[in-house]
Amino acid sequence: MKSLLQRKVVRALIVVWTLTVLLFLYMPMMAVVMASFTKQRYFRFPVNAWDTRWYEKAFESLSVRDLFWTSFSVALLVTILSVVLAFFGALAFARYDWKGRKMYQRIILLPIFFPQAVLGLALLLWFSSLGITTSWHTAVFAHMIWILPIVTLIMSIQVYSFDPVWEEAAYDLGASRLQVLREITLPILSPGIISGAVFAFLLSWGNFPLSLFTTGADQTIPEWLYSKMVSGYTPMVPTLGSLTMGGAAGFLLIAFLIVLAVRRLRAGKPD
Amino acid sequence: MNEVPLGFLELRGVTKQFGEFTALDDVNLSISEGEFFTLVGPSGSGKTTLIRILVGMDSPTSGDIALRGDVINDVPANRRPTCMVFQNLALFPHKTVGQNVEFAMKIAGVAASTRRERALELLELLRLPADFYSKRINQCSGGERQRIALARALAFDPEILFFDEPLSALDFRLRKTLEKELKDIHRETGKTFVYITHSLEEAMVMSDRIGILNHGKLIQIGSPDDIYNRPLNKFVAQFMGEVNTLAVDKAGTGKVKDSTTGSMYEITESGQEFESGFMIIRPEVMKIGNAADALPNRIQGVLFNDYALGSRIQYQVRSADGENHWLVERLQDDPFSGNAGEPVTIGWRAEDSILVPS
Repeated sequence: MKSLLQRKVVRALIVVWTLTVLLFLYMPMMAVVMASFTKQRYFRFPVNAWDTRWYEKAFESLSVRDLFWTSFSVALLVTILSVVLAFFGALAFARYDWKGRKMYQRIILLPIFFPQAVLGLALLLWFSSLGITTSWHTAVFAHMIWILPIVTLIMSIQVYSFDPVWEEAAYDLGASRLQVLREITLPILSPGIISGAVFAFLLSWGNFPLSLFTTGADQTIPEWLYSKMVSGYTPMVPTLGSLTMGGAAGFLLIAFLIVLAVRRLRAGKPD
Repeated sequence: MNEVPLGFLELRGVTKQFGEFTALDDVNLSISEGEFFTLVGPSGSGKTTLIRILVGMDSPTSGDIALRGDVINDVPANRRPTCMVFQNLALFPHKTVGQNVEFAMKIAGVAASTRRERALELLELLRLPADFYSKRINQCSGGERQRIALARALAFDPEILFFDEPLSALDFRLRKTLEKELKDIHRETGKTFVYITHSLEEAMVMSDRIGILNHGKLIQIGSPDDIYNRPLNKFVAQFMGEVNTLAVDKAGTGKVKDSTTGSMYEITESGQEFESGFMIIRPEVMKIGNAADALPNRIQGVLFNDYALGSRIQYQVRSADGENHWLVERLQDDPFSGNAGEPVTIGWRAEDSILVPS
C-alpha cells in the first residue's frame, strides 16, 4: 500500500507533466495568435501594445479572400474525390479477397512515405513535360496522391469491422442493391467516412510542400504565409496563420457536431 | 403431421460444384406447405450450400428449384418470397429493435404507423416486452436477439422461412427453450419452416420431417420416428448418438451371424433384403442383469464402468471374448446394482435389432 502522501505526490507529478506537454504543444501556437494582435509592424515578444487592425485588414483584403477560396476549393475537392475513391478502395481491399490485393495495399500506401517536397517536384516535372499548366486544379491532383492513401487506410479500419452478412440479410429481406447501400452499408460505415473526410480536408488545408510545386500562379494560404515569412513580413502573417488554425478548429467542431447529431437522431426516433 | 399437397418447394437434381469439389450431388427433395422440414448433416455435408441456393444467394450448377411449380433458379434473393434467419442473426447494429423488425416493411413501402403496429404484434408473439421496440441491439441478450431476428424475418411475411443453425451459439438450456418456442411459433404462424442444423437431437424436437445430408448427398428423408427407428444406413444410425454396432451376415431366416466371432443372433424379418452389413442396437433397449436372462439375444461380459447421463445411467460392458464394448442404458431412478469388474449378462429382443447395409 502506498501512503497518502506518496499518492498525492504522484498525482501532482502527473498534473505537472501533463501541463508541461500541453505548454510545449500549444505555446508556439499561442505566440502566433498573440503576435497577430500586436500594434507593431515587427514581431516582438512579449506583446505590449494590442490591436485588432490586422484582422480588419485581413477581412477587407481581396487577395486574402482569393487565398482563402483557393485553399478552400482545393481542400473541398480533395475531400470529395478522396472520400468517394477511398470508400470503394477500402471496400475492395478490406472486404474482398482477390489476386494482387496485398500488392495493391502496399502500392497505394507507398506515396505516404515519400518526402512531400520530392513528390511535389516530381509531379511538377511530369506536368510540364506533359504540357499541363499548373494551377490549383493540378494541386488537387497532387494532394490526392498523398491524401487518398491515408483516407483509404482510415476507412478500411471501419470496413474491416463490417460484416457483409448484414448486406445479405437486407438483400434477403427484399432490399435492392441501392437500398442496401443506403440503408446498411453507408450508415454503418459513416463514422469511418466522416473521419476520412475530416482528415482529407485538414491535411489538404494545411499542406505546404505539395502546393508549393503544383499550384502554379495560384496561391494557397500556407504558400502565402511562407513567402511572406521569407520576405515582406507584416503582422498579417500571424493574423492569417491564426485564422487558418481557427478555420481548422472550426471545421473539426462542425464535424464533431454532425457526428453527435447523427448519433442522437439514430438513437432517438424510428425511421 | 400436416396433410397438405406435396410439391410446394421442389428440388430436382440440384448439384453444386466448386471447381473439382462437389458440394451437392443430385439432391431431390419435395417440401410441403406448412411443413417444418429440417436438414441435418455434419459440417462440410453441404447443408449451408444448399440453404444458400434455396434462399437465392447462390445458384446450382445444375438442377432446378421450383416454388409452387415455378422454377426460381434465376430469381435473386431480394425477389424471392422467402427469407432466412442467419447463423449469426445479422441484426443491423445501427438500427433499434423496432427498426430491425420493420426493415422489410419499410423496404416494401408500408406506412410508418402500420409498420409499428405490426412490429409490436410480432414482439408480443415472440414474448418480448413492448419496451424492446426502442432498445438498441447491443442492449439485448443472446436469446432476445434470436427472437428479434425471427420477428424481423416474420415481418417480411415469407412463404418459406429458412434457418441456418441460428441456435448453435447458445448455451444448452436456452437452446432447449428456444427449440420448443420455435416449434410453437411454427404452429401459430402456419408457415413453412426449413431449418438446417448439425444436431439430429435438435431436429427431432422440432421437425415434421428430417433430411439427412452427408457429403452433398441426401441419404434419408423421413419423420423423426423413421430416422430414429428405421435408419437406412450406419451413418444415419450413428448420427443420433452412441449405439451398439456389430458387423453381421445373414444366416438363415430370422438369424444373423457375427462376422468376426460367428455368434448367432435373432432378428425380426422386415421383408427387406439383407445379405451383410451392420446390426444396430440402441443402448436404451438393451437389458442388463436378471432382465436379460429370458431374452433370445444374450452376451456374457464384465461390467467395465458406469456413467451418469442425467436422466439415464449408461453402463459399459466388455464382452467375455474381449471383442466388443457394449453400451446399456437404464433410467436414473432404476439403476443396476452391480460393481465394476463383476460378470454380467446383457441382452436384447429380436425386434430391437436394426439391420442396415454396409
